[in-house]
Amino acid sequence: MGVIDLDRLVVQLGGRTVLDGLAGELRGHAIGLLGPNGAGKSTLINTLLGFHTPASGNARVLGLDARSDRMRIRQSVGYMPENDSFIGNLNGVHFVRYMAELAGLPPGEALERAHEALFFVGLGEVRYRKISTYSLGMKQLIKLAQALAHGPRLLILDEPTNGLDPSARQRMIQLIKDIRRQGSTRLLISSHLLRDIDDTCDEVLILNKGRVAAISNIEEERRSHRNFIELETEGSAEAFVHKMRGAGCECASFPGGRVKLVMPDAITLRDVYVAAADSGVQIRRIQQRRDSLEDIFMRAVDYEGGRVEHVSLPS
Amino acid sequence: MSVFHHDYQAFTGRVTPLWTRPLVLARYGLKEVWASKIAVGLLVLSLLPPIVFLVMIYLADNPVARALVGRESDLITINERFFLRLLATQCWLALVLAAWIAPRLIASDLADNALPILLSHPISRFSYIFGKFLALITSLSYVTWIPCIVLFLYQCYSSPQPWTLAHLPLGMGMMAGALLWIALLSLLGLAVSSWVKWRVVATGAIFAVVFVPAGVGGIANAILRTRWGFLLNIPVMMSEVWQRLLGAPAILNSLMSMPTPAIAAVLILASLVFAAMLNARIRAREVVRG
Repeated sequence: MGVIDLDRLVVQLGGRTVLDGLAGELRGHAIGLLGPNGAGKSTLINTLLGFHTPASGNARVLGLDARSDRMRIRQSVGYMPENDSFIGNLNGVHFVRYMAELAGLPPGEALERAHEALFFVGLGEVRYRKISTYSLGMKQLIKLAQALAHGPRLLILDEPTNGLDPSARQRMIQLIKDIRRQGSTRLLISSHLLRDIDDTCDEVLILNKGRVAAISNIEEERRSHRNFIELETEGSAEAFVHKMRGAGCECASFPGGRVKLVMPDAITLRDVYVAAADSGVQIRRIQQRRDSLEDIFMRAVDYEGGRVEHVSLPS
Repeated sequence: MSVFHHDYQAFTGRVTPLWTRPLVLARYGLKEVWASKIAVGLLVLSLLPPIVFLVMIYLADNPVARALVGRESDLITINERFFLRLLATQCWLALVLAAWIAPRLIASDLADNALPILLSHPISRFSYIFGKFLALITSLSYVTWIPCIVLFLYQCYSSPQPWTLAHLPLGMGMMAGALLWIALLSLLGLAVSSWVKWRVVATGAIFAVVFVPAGVGGIANAILRTRWGFLLNIPVMMSEVWQRLLGAPAILNSLMSMPTPAIAAVLILASLVFAAMLNARIRAREVVRG
């Protein structure tokens, strides 16, 4: 059983198809949800929470049917929405306790957990202040605290670092990593910031135009140790690219003599220099790096097919 | 999870049953409502008339007290008309209280866009509305059927036995009439509050919804020479309902009086319209758009 199972999920809003046949199984401990604006990320989250009814197909969250088990899903999930969403005239403890009680905690337990959650996210010192007086970063943290207080099995974070300054962002990322490390809570993190997903997630679902563009296991990609090399060359790169493809590399050339190579394990840097010399190409700069999430994302959003595909590179 | 260790641990205890969640909303709603000094002031003012009526019952049932104030005759008669006056007074005071507190229940949730976070918890839209409705009904009960029933019980206690036996349906009628009114008022208050962003404007709008159609109905009656315009007049219709429930003498003459099914149909229709308004507004705000 995956954390989230999508079975040809179609969601229509106002007669417009927003999610079009999403399919796939997400098993990661921390799942990133990526996509350009309007890709359907928020609609997918709202569908998982039971706010939108699928036109066809289905979605399952922690094995529960998004159509028929809405309340049980919400019981098991903590949700941190993207926009400001709180009750400004309540203080921090009161608000988090209220949300915990709504999630089913008895009043005494809810109060205790509210204090703990606020200390955990770093709002312990300001927990008796009205939320309306909080800074933007504090408001993000109180949303995280209320999502955590009832001890959910799945935590859905919609743009958790939205509007945060670098230090607050770093703090939020660290908190997410701490929750992930603790292990009892799965995470679904929606973001348009690739770096946030790269820092925190082990699996990524990329949406584009309401379809699944890719489901990628970032951890596996990291483990595969595939070598990506970016070159800046002088001279005609065409022959060089041709030669490298012949050797089994995946190549892409760009204007200005820039070349990107994916090197199989059998090819070494020396082979690249030899091929360049043979092709009459000077290598002016060479940068070796692993496949980044950005590359996965860029390939996925350019992908126009309707088929679900695991983004991976030929070995 | 320990405060000192700042470490996250999942909750492993037992959770409360789903059906109790609207009660959580009601409890926090009541706390929010009665945090307002103006609301407390209005409550105190609303409890002054029952004190006056209490003194009247005391005087009516106590010949010694009547002698002390110098009136030996039956100046005050405790009957259906007396309790109708009490019920009507309390119900109109409840309108004032509802106009002040209903916007506090909904407006703060809407102003800070709290609905997506509230409804992401295991409560449905209906449960949310029901919870707020319970908070308002409870608040309005303090000034309507509770003081009425207390005075009725006091009259039962202090009057000779035959009065109690002859007037038992009066208590039921008062309770039914008050509950009908506060249910309608609660739906109206929540519906209007959900559509108006500013609390003060929402308070005015609640009065407007009650009294503007009454004026329109009066104009319709005058121009069309009919009585059906009274169906838009909530004060008149409710007075008729209370009079019939309490078995008091008629307020309007028989030519102007409305048939009970017509009144019931209008009240049901109004309640459905208010419920639909409320549902539409909450539904539109339950998810983050964009």
